[in-house]
This record gives sequence, C-alpha cells and structure tokens, in this order.
Amino acid sequence: MRKHLPYLVPLLALTIACSEMQNEPITEPKMVSEMGLIPELEGVATATYSLDKSHAFLTFKVTHANGLSDYRMNFSKFDATIDFNPEKPEMSSIMVTIDPTSVVSNYPGDYKAGHPKSEFDTWDEDVSRNKRWLNSDNFPEISFKSTTITRTGEKTGTVTGDLSLLEITAPVTLDVTFNGSANFQWLGERDVIGFNAETTFNRSKFGMATFVPYIGDEVRVEFTGEFVQDE
Amino acid sequence: MRLILSAIALTAFFWQATVAQPVQGVPTDSYSLEKTHAYLTFSVKHAGLSDYVVNFTDFDVNLDFNAQSPELSKVQAVINLTSLNTNLPDPEKKGEWEDELLFDPKFFNARTANEIRFISNSVERTSENTGIVTGELHFLGVKKTVQLDVEYNGNGKTRRFGDRTLIGFNARGTIKRSDYGMDVLIPFIGDEVDIEFSGELVQDQ
Repeated sequence: MRKHLPYLVPLLALTIACSEMQNEPITEPKMVSEMGLIPELEGVATATYSLDKSHAFLTFKVTHANGLSDYRMNFSKFDATIDFNPEKPEMSSIMVTIDPTSVVSNYPGDYKAGHPKSEFDTWDEDVSRNKRWLNSDNFPEISFKSTTITRTGEKTGTVTGDLSLLEITAPVTLDVTFNGSANFQWLGERDVIGFNAETTFNRSKFGMATFVPYIGDEVRVEFTGEFVQDE
Repeated sequence: MRLILSAIALTAFFWQATVAQPVQGVPTDSYSLEKTHAYLTFSVKHAGLSDYVVNFTDFDVNLDFNAQSPELSKVQAVINLTSLNTNLPDPEKKGEWEDELLFDPKFFNARTANEIRFISNSVERTSENTGIVTGELHFLGVKKTVQLDVEYNGNGKTRRFGDRTLIGFNARGTIKRSDYGMDVLIPFIGDEVDIEFSGELVQDQ
C-alpha cells in the first residue's frame, strides 16, 4: 500500500481536475509524473544534504512582560544534515546541532553600563552562559534528531524528534514546508533543497522555568534554510 | 424573517462600530521605543528555496497614542540601515557581505542615504486589538504608501520605568523593493519584502 501511495495523490488531483473540466472543451491531459512526485521533487537525488550555512536562519521567540512583545533571538551557529528520500520523504531523517554560545539578541547599547552587577560582558553571553538560561558551560550543545516523519500535504509534513536541551531530552514536532529544489551553476550537479520549519515547546519542560510567565514559557522556533547535496 | 435577521445584523454591525472601546489603562501621551525590547526583521525569498532574514538592530519609533480614539494616533519610525545584521556565522564573511549589502548601489546604497523612514497618515481600527496603519515609506529616495497590519499586545508597568506605561505591538507588512528601484536579481531574490516588528514603547517622561 505504502508503495502505491505516491500514485494516489496525482490520481486524485486528476480526478478532481477532470470533474471540474466536464463543461469545458477537452484540452491536453494533465501530465502525471511517472514517479508520482510533485514537480519540485522530480529528479532530486536521494542523498545526504548538508546545511548551506549562508542561507539558513534559526530564530526563537518568547513573549516578554506577560505578552507585551515577542523577544526574539537568533542562533548564528548551527548545522543540520538530512538523509533525504524524495520518493518517500517519510523515510528521510534529519539531525541538527546548535551552538548555544552563538546566541544573537541584537541588544542595543552598552549592556555592562546598564547591568553593572552582571558577571557577563554582554546580554548574549548572559543568555548563553547563565545557569538560569542556556547554561552553555555545562551544556555546550543543543541537538535535535528526527524519529518520525509524516507527510501531511504535497509540500508539508511533520517531523517529530528528540530535542536535547539542557539536561532533558524530550520529543518535539516540527511543522515543515518543502519550498522546492534547484541547481546552481556554482554547485554543478549537486542538488539544493529548501525548507521552512517551525515548532513551539514549553521551556519549563526542559528545566528552564526562569521568570515564567513574565517571560513566556512557550518558545516559538522558526527555521528557514537550504541544504546542498553532499559531494 | 430575513428582514428581521438583516435588521439584527445591521444593528450588531453599528453597535460594534460605534462602541469601539477606548484602550483601557493607557494614558493618551507620546511614547518612544523601548529599544531593548524591539525587533525589526526584513525577509526576502532566496531562489524560492528559503527566506533570507535580515535584522535591523538600530531603529527608533515615536508614537502619539490616543487611547480614546486609537485611530487618531500617529507613529513615526526611522531605521538606521547601517545596523543591519545578517547573522552570517563567519565574522569575516559577515563583515564583507554586510558591507556589500549596505553600500552597493544595487542594494541599500547607504553612502547616499543611510535611513529608512516611515510616517503614518491614517490609522484604521479593524477589531478591538488590531488595526491597519497606512503611511509613507521613504526608502532609496522614493516615497510610497504602505500599510502595516498592527496588533496591540497590551500594556503594563515595570520597576525600571516606574509610573510610565509600556505598550506593546506587533506589526507586519509587505513591500515590493522594485517600487523603490531596488530590482537587482529579481526574481532569483524575491521582489516582495516581508517586514516584521515586535516591540514595546514606553511613555515619555
């Protein structure tokens, strides 16, 4: 059954298209790909893909002051590897590692002047190293390993996996959108694929309950980026 | 029967329209951006494969807020282009790339003008906590009308600001960079620029 599943989607689309075309002049039949793949997955190599670090963004947001604004930070250093199976995307897997010392808060002005008692030189360093935040001296890596992928639409799916943050490993589910594939001259035959992904989880579940609920418990994570087929 | 339903619907509509609530607990006053809790992000599509996300880290907003009639409020924003942050991981490449983005006449051309300005000219309330702010965006020597969808997140007081009230908003809008003459690499790099703001403003002293 699973083997035939990819054929069902275009078949269904064709059925709907035909029923809508009943009163219209007969035109060229819609092309149905042999593989049953959406056009953007046609010809994409089953291979290992690594993050294109110059086209990848990882943002997390929490509400501040009981919801007055979203506090937004980026990680500038992270890596991800996908074993991608375009024919059966649900058989793919992904592994992500994040360097918690790469927090970028875009804090304006002189942090030290406003926080003379802080043992840290910058707010970024505080968020990264302070034991009540990311405690990176003791937990130098955040990681995510997929366990289950479910396709929910032509270009969408959910990726469930284990998030290891601080001393806890717990499952989170990402909503993923496949944005398409391309070949760039400067990368030759190597395929490039792009995704957006987002999820929310409660930081208290990972033992970080500092200032909840003044600073929101719910952490919203947003990723957008490209992956290049390994050589 | 249909007439009665229409009458009820019409009454409900006018009821809602005429009793738009004043914003409770917020003084009518001028407010300035609380810069340590404010984010401004621009994103464009790259090769249709991903969103290229740029933060501006130095910008200011001034708001004349009318709590009785929020649609009479006025807002101005100024963005320092040289504060852009691409978050590229390699510091050397980051510096080079950001300089190119900033100073290349194809991109932000910041040697000619290093600011983007927004000045509102009307505010429309669309529900209790949402509205549309229409104004002029001044960018690359071009002035165009843009609309921002704004959400009021609430108000509060903090120890740091004492009796001064803080109010929080999220705002988003989309512009076409080609409208401002920046059409380099369209459509490989998307024409549409999504703008996202979240931040707090503090009552002026």
